[in-house]
Amino acid sequence: MIAGLSISKNSYQALVLSVLGIALVLIMLLSLSLGAYAIPFSSVLAILGEQFGLSLEGVDRSAANVLLQIRLPRIIIALLIGGGLGIAGAALQGLFRNPLVEPGLIGVSSGSALFAVVFIVLIPGLAGSSNLIQNLGMPLFAFLGGLTHVWAVYQLARTQGRTDTATLILAGVAINALAGALIGLTLFFADDSALRSFTFWSLGDLGASSWSKFPVAISLIGIPSIMLMLEYRNLNALSLGEREAFHMGISVQRVKIKILILSALIVGVGVSLAGMIGFVGLVVPHLIRIGFGANHRLVLPASFLLGAILLNVADLMARTVVSPAELPIGVLTALIGAPFFIYLIFKLNKINS
Amino acid sequence: MLQAEDIHFCIRQWPIVKKASISVNPGEILAVLGPNGAGKSTLFKILAGEISCTRGQVDYNGQNLRALKTQQLASVRAVMPQHSTVSFPFTAREVVELGLPKDSKKNSEKNIREVMELTKVQHLEDRLYQQLSGGEKQRVQLARVLIQIWEKKPFPRYLLLDEPTSSLDISQQHIVLDILKKLKSQNIGVLIVLHDLNLAAHYADRIAIVKDGLIAGVGKVEEVYSEALLSEVFDHPIRLVKDQETQQILVSSNSTFHSDLKISKQAQA
Repeated sequence: MIAGLSISKNSYQALVLSVLGIALVLIMLLSLSLGAYAIPFSSVLAILGEQFGLSLEGVDRSAANVLLQIRLPRIIIALLIGGGLGIAGAALQGLFRNPLVEPGLIGVSSGSALFAVVFIVLIPGLAGSSNLIQNLGMPLFAFLGGLTHVWAVYQLARTQGRTDTATLILAGVAINALAGALIGLTLFFADDSALRSFTFWSLGDLGASSWSKFPVAISLIGIPSIMLMLEYRNLNALSLGEREAFHMGISVQRVKIKILILSALIVGVGVSLAGMIGFVGLVVPHLIRIGFGANHRLVLPASFLLGAILLNVADLMARTVVSPAELPIGVLTALIGAPFFIYLIFKLNKINS
Repeated sequence: MLQAEDIHFCIRQWPIVKKASISVNPGEILAVLGPNGAGKSTLFKILAGEISCTRGQVDYNGQNLRALKTQQLASVRAVMPQHSTVSFPFTAREVVELGLPKDSKKNSEKNIREVMELTKVQHLEDRLYQQLSGGEKQRVQLARVLIQIWEKKPFPRYLLLDEPTSSLDISQQHIVLDILKKLKSQNIGVLIVLHDLNLAAHYADRIAIVKDGLIAGVGKVEEVYSEALLSEVFDHPIRLVKDQETQQILVSSNSTFHSDLKISKQAQA
């Protein structure tokens, strides 16, 4: 019975993760099928099956092209960015010991966007010149921007091993305003087609996703996400407090730096690929905790899966609601996320009073 | 042995702990007493390794604290701070589980059950920690700390507690101190910061009294407890009486006695 208890806990976690995984696969299949160019579900399966060596009849070449060259990379990039935002949100909340932390709200995303924009301006003629610099340089520069900002916010808001929510949000507001203004200014003067629009950076857009972005996304979002998942024990200990974590044998400083770097990397690369997409990192870890408890061993991977699901749903809606035009994806995530954020503030106030 | 020698700690050249030497032997309970602001908490933090002293050194089993890795330190000592908050909705049992040492997979289930039974929080295991009462939280934290040193080891270990009974009623205070009494027989040295002089007199093998960053007295209860010393250290008249039945020392700090004294002092002046 004793052994049974721990097994049942493990199998509970496995069950939650597999349900989320199946939901993710289903939403991805649905997303492959729907859009301005509708592809029947059966054709979707046929085209995918063909890729795995099954030769099926009646595969429409133009449908196959849309699906494999346009939709599939977009959906996979959405998976990585959404999952990355979910897990980075969960990890940052754990590190800051504060459930209101979100990469967008505390300024990591806007810091990344600012650095990405500045990078493009600083290196002129980059747009067509070298793919490697653009594909790798900009994400890394965006990561540096995110890291600088998250470090600054962390130092600003921390008092006696805890982060003060009010200072945290205010620091985020200040940094977001400043970064937003600087992005606007840079875009106004630069007038470079490579910079894309202000809307791209502030509200996000997955429309530019292609297979050429995939290697960067999988290596700089996928791998850091897995590394974050392995930090579950440290994040669990940190939820008791930094001092307590130290007493329990955790090298707090090292863990903090590791988590900050990994989160900033995930968010920065995400921003450089698809602009700023808000609130995913706030909503997702919360839903997981409410539904399945606070143990980071489950919260981290489940946040990745739910983030991927949420961003794919949002992207599907962005593509289809005003079809053939597209909504900026950040509009949709904010429509869900902002009211949720207000609800959280109310709830936390009630707990504190 | 946990030994601190000549430790000294300043905040902006203001000494909080001055030349303090203190030691805890495995198998004993050492109670640290003293008025608020005497430097008890700072001393506690230095011993726990949270802050390092400006001068002097702390040794765990003969090894310098600075030379020990965080993980090694955690295997020789567990610490219960005064207040701990949990930032996410963990259940009581999950909080206790967080205390499990990294290498203990085998008996973890049994150990968790034992410490939770001992601290009388077994029935709370599925409740959310954040929704527990102050006393329940404190006992869950104690269980969390105990599990870190629960598994028997061939070397002496130490448990440091900063006012672990502050939210507990009388019977629970005794439950906690009885646990510590049992624990010390496992080759564990216990250092406990207390406010209750009677509780300290009843359970501690030795007492250390801290005043203005100095150790004002250390030794067995009978050696340290004197009306003159206690009254001076706490800046409050204290009387010691012997319990007729148990022959134990009882500390009285009756407030009417206090006001009488003040009046008589004023009269003398």
